[in-house]
Amino acid sequence: MSDFTTDFILYSIYLFFLIFTIGVIFDKIRGKKWAESLEDREEGFTRFIQGWKQRFYDLKKSWKIFRKSILAIIGLTLIVTVSTISIFADDIAVEHPYRNLQDTEDLWWIDNEPRREAPFSEACDWHEQGIDLFGIKTKGYSRYVPAVSDPVINENGSLTPMPIEIIEIEFIEDDLGYDLNNSLIIVYNETTFFVTDEALNITSSKIWVTYEFQNNDMHHWWLPDGYDVCIMGTTNTGQDLFSKILYGSRISLKIGITVAFLTVALGTIVGSISGYYGGVIDEVIMRITDVFFAVPGLILAMAFVAALQNTTSLTIAMSTAAFLLLFFNILSTRNVISELITGEGTDRNLMFKIKNKLEPQSDLENKVFNFKNSMLETALFLLRFRGVLLVGLTLIFLGSFWPELWSNNTDVKLVKSLTLVAIFTLYVVITILDKTLNEGVPSKLISKRISESFDFGNPYRFLALRTILIFISVVLLIFVTKSSDSDFILIKDFDRLWKIQAALILTGWPGYARLIRGQVLYIREMTFVEAAKSVGAPDGRIMFRHILPSAWAPLLVAFTLDVGGTILSASGLSFIGLGAEPGTAEWGILVSDGRRFFPNSWWLVTFPGLAILLTTLGFNLLGDGLRDIVDPKNKR
Amino acid sequence: MKLQEFIVRRLILLIPVIMGVSIFTFAIAQIIPADPAAALCGEKCGVVGSNGLTAYESNVIRLGLDKPVWQQYVIYVTNLLEGDWGESVTFHRPVIEKLRDAAPITLEMSFLSLAMGFPMGITLGIFSAVWQDKLFDQASRFVAIAFVSLPIFWLAMMFQYILGTQVGICDPITQALPLVPDTEGGCFPIYGRHDPTYTFPDTGTGFHLIDSWIVDEPTKFNPQTNRYEVSMSHWDMFIDTLKHLFLPCFTLAVASTGGLLRYMRASLLEVMNEDYVRTARAKGISETRVILVHAVRNALVPIVTILGFSIGGAIGGAVLTETIFAFPGMGKTAVDAIVYLDFSMIMGVTLVTAIIFLLSNLLVDISYAIVDPRVRLE
Repeated sequence: MSDFTTDFILYSIYLFFLIFTIGVIFDKIRGKKWAESLEDREEGFTRFIQGWKQRFYDLKKSWKIFRKSILAIIGLTLIVTVSTISIFADDIAVEHPYRNLQDTEDLWWIDNEPRREAPFSEACDWHEQGIDLFGIKTKGYSRYVPAVSDPVINENGSLTPMPIEIIEIEFIEDDLGYDLNNSLIIVYNETTFFVTDEALNITSSKIWVTYEFQNNDMHHWWLPDGYDVCIMGTTNTGQDLFSKILYGSRISLKIGITVAFLTVALGTIVGSISGYYGGVIDEVIMRITDVFFAVPGLILAMAFVAALQNTTSLTIAMSTAAFLLLFFNILSTRNVISELITGEGTDRNLMFKIKNKLEPQSDLENKVFNFKNSMLETALFLLRFRGVLLVGLTLIFLGSFWPELWSNNTDVKLVKSLTLVAIFTLYVVITILDKTLNEGVPSKLISKRISESFDFGNPYRFLALRTILIFISVVLLIFVTKSSDSDFILIKDFDRLWKIQAALILTGWPGYARLIRGQVLYIREMTFVEAAKSVGAPDGRIMFRHILPSAWAPLLVAFTLDVGGTILSASGLSFIGLGAEPGTAEWGILVSDGRRFFPNSWWLVTFPGLAILLTTLGFNLLGDGLRDIVDPKNKR
Repeated sequence: MKLQEFIVRRLILLIPVIMGVSIFTFAIAQIIPADPAAALCGEKCGVVGSNGLTAYESNVIRLGLDKPVWQQYVIYVTNLLEGDWGESVTFHRPVIEKLRDAAPITLEMSFLSLAMGFPMGITLGIFSAVWQDKLFDQASRFVAIAFVSLPIFWLAMMFQYILGTQVGICDPITQALPLVPDTEGGCFPIYGRHDPTYTFPDTGTGFHLIDSWIVDEPTKFNPQTNRYEVSMSHWDMFIDTLKHLFLPCFTLAVASTGGLLRYMRASLLEVMNEDYVRTARAKGISETRVILVHAVRNALVPIVTILGFSIGGAIGGAVLTETIFAFPGMGKTAVDAIVYLDFSMIMGVTLVTAIIFLLSNLLVDISYAIVDPRVRLE
């Protein structure tokens, strides 16, 4: 977790509770509102409890259907196992990556164990060490040679051999690999060899001693003696394959869940817009999905990876970041503030009123020009695009400050903050003016409503999702204006894993867009949507609060199935050399690293592949089981 | 609507999609961090040509890199239509030539894999629908999900191991495998399109299964005399090609079986509830005949549409199988092109796979319209 994230979370919580506490204390001092709203609070609490009771009941019902299917239970067990393993990989594994830059760029010890040893082989405890006879003979090196490991990276970052403990000599070979007599080298004590005179007479300049060493660190405590070493063999670089596979589960789960989540989110947004609005928007979006469907997924993902080749970090310009945040703020507060000011939600009410004042079409035919009507129509037009106008005005306001606003000069920070305040004020003023002038709401009433709007009397209402989102974006804005960089960093280290994740997201969304579009088209015609429309709920609210919650079931199934699919595709991309770096503990890379030694060292390919298979199988079985639950035929 | 009209309309609808794909590939090529003009001339960029410009500058003008982006796109599309798909840096030859060689390989593999996968999927699907909710159905459901979850590259290597090196009962020719020196040699060769001791003449269609019957018979290498002197018959060539194709196709077939099984099962279960099936049963026709003649034939109709998508899936899967079995098809070409950032090749491969996918879908739709005339009304 970066400093930024921790700071950000702390700031958000701090600001949030500050406002909340001040509000509650203020209400307490006034002594009125808190007491008055007791019933309100009690009702909120009961509803809260009831909601959870209902959810719990639904869950119990679903579980009854779910547990009938043995396959789904197997799937769930597999997923729980893999997740547990990924959490406790540190404790189960005997070898660890020595530098955890990102989870994805781990580097592993070059090990003392021999390379490509078969599972459970006793040779896993052996180490091969070269003794420089030539040096002893001519340069006067000591004949007492310490037993050391291959050079490993120590805490200072330099390469040094570590001392190891000898148990017994297995065999000795010369430079060309021919066996020599075991008595050439004598074990002097636990850590030292003694080179005999006979050894010095050998023509070879170097001899290789293979000996069993004290390898306690590498033994699994939970396995019986004799079977506790390298249960899946060792890799081409002498690492414990089992440990690498354990750590690989972290990367696979991370990729699978991140990609599936973002893909589903993107597809849902695009699909619901397409299905809800229909017409030209729908047509355009569907033609774009056609293009994506025309190219096979893996080739498309490969092309995306190639396109992202030179991206090292994902940044957006500071100005764009600030603008996006402001845009979000304005969009989300627009309704809140207009609700505060006018009472109920209301663009539509106002528009209906104006529409009623319009003269009927038949009267218009006699007149050439109707001033009142044209004014009313202009007002209607302005009202309809009020959000756009507000954003446009903000942009113009921002634009006048543009050059000095995003410079790196620290003195400008004050200007930045002031601009921020100014923009908010401008926004509020515009809304208030809009309301007072159009609807004739007196300004006294407006201020009263604003002060009453922070409903501290009912915390449940105050803690609504939208309020939290606004807080988050305000805090982000503070960060953006505080920073003196010219770029806002979204992903600091856009490494190869991020690239395949981005490629898979870009490849995957059209499928979900189509799925959700179909659902939305079906739900859109239902009566409750019509009811919401007739009370004047805005489009966004209908889409995300009324339609989407009814379409969650196929989404959940699709999400679960997609996690499995993503793990497969990601490992496939890694296999052809586009994913993680070679040597990383990623299952696809492990298979592709082992391919050179296949089928002689069969374990290098078989076990990582099995890991992929079992994880994907788990998610697919679970998704299949979930489909049975959400299938209306099974809801009896 | 007449059938011709339907076909013409579907063809017209293809044009915007293919244009979309071309815009898409063009956009990708714009983002790819490589200088196309420099990549084309390589070390000779500084050489001054007959027109007084360096090779680099003339490349820039030829590719239109000095013009605005939309003009570059127009140039790109004009070049595409004229058959100039650019020059591949990785393969040192025109992209279109390389693709002309590569496409039949992938297509041959995809078609054969579908020919293997379809019967498997459909047979299993029929049995699990007939024995609905019995043990077989449960087992086949598990198998279907397991097949979908298999990593293709891993499966291919397992087949290489089991079928290619362990079953030592087959033709001794396949035993001399340099890749796996210590094994006995199995039934199926584990890489390449044909035996390395002979070559297919270039005169054929590129589909070796067809070529083996129409091209001149080559002579095979004889290791004893070190000369090409053993004559081969058409039949030998055909069998050898088929053997080499078996493992990659079987891998892809297994990967596609799972989905087919589920679709066939669902489709057949739906048909079994139809009135005409009940009528057939009421007439006293035997259950086998009801299923095979009345139900399965109708249940197969919607399955036809899945064929189109399966071809796309097979081409996508070919990326992995071709890498493993060393087939120089489009998948392998795509991998090489992307590893070396060969942008014109990437554009070419993407476009060609898209066109193949769209055309095969079109063919499937047309055959669907012939089988089920109601479709034409939409």
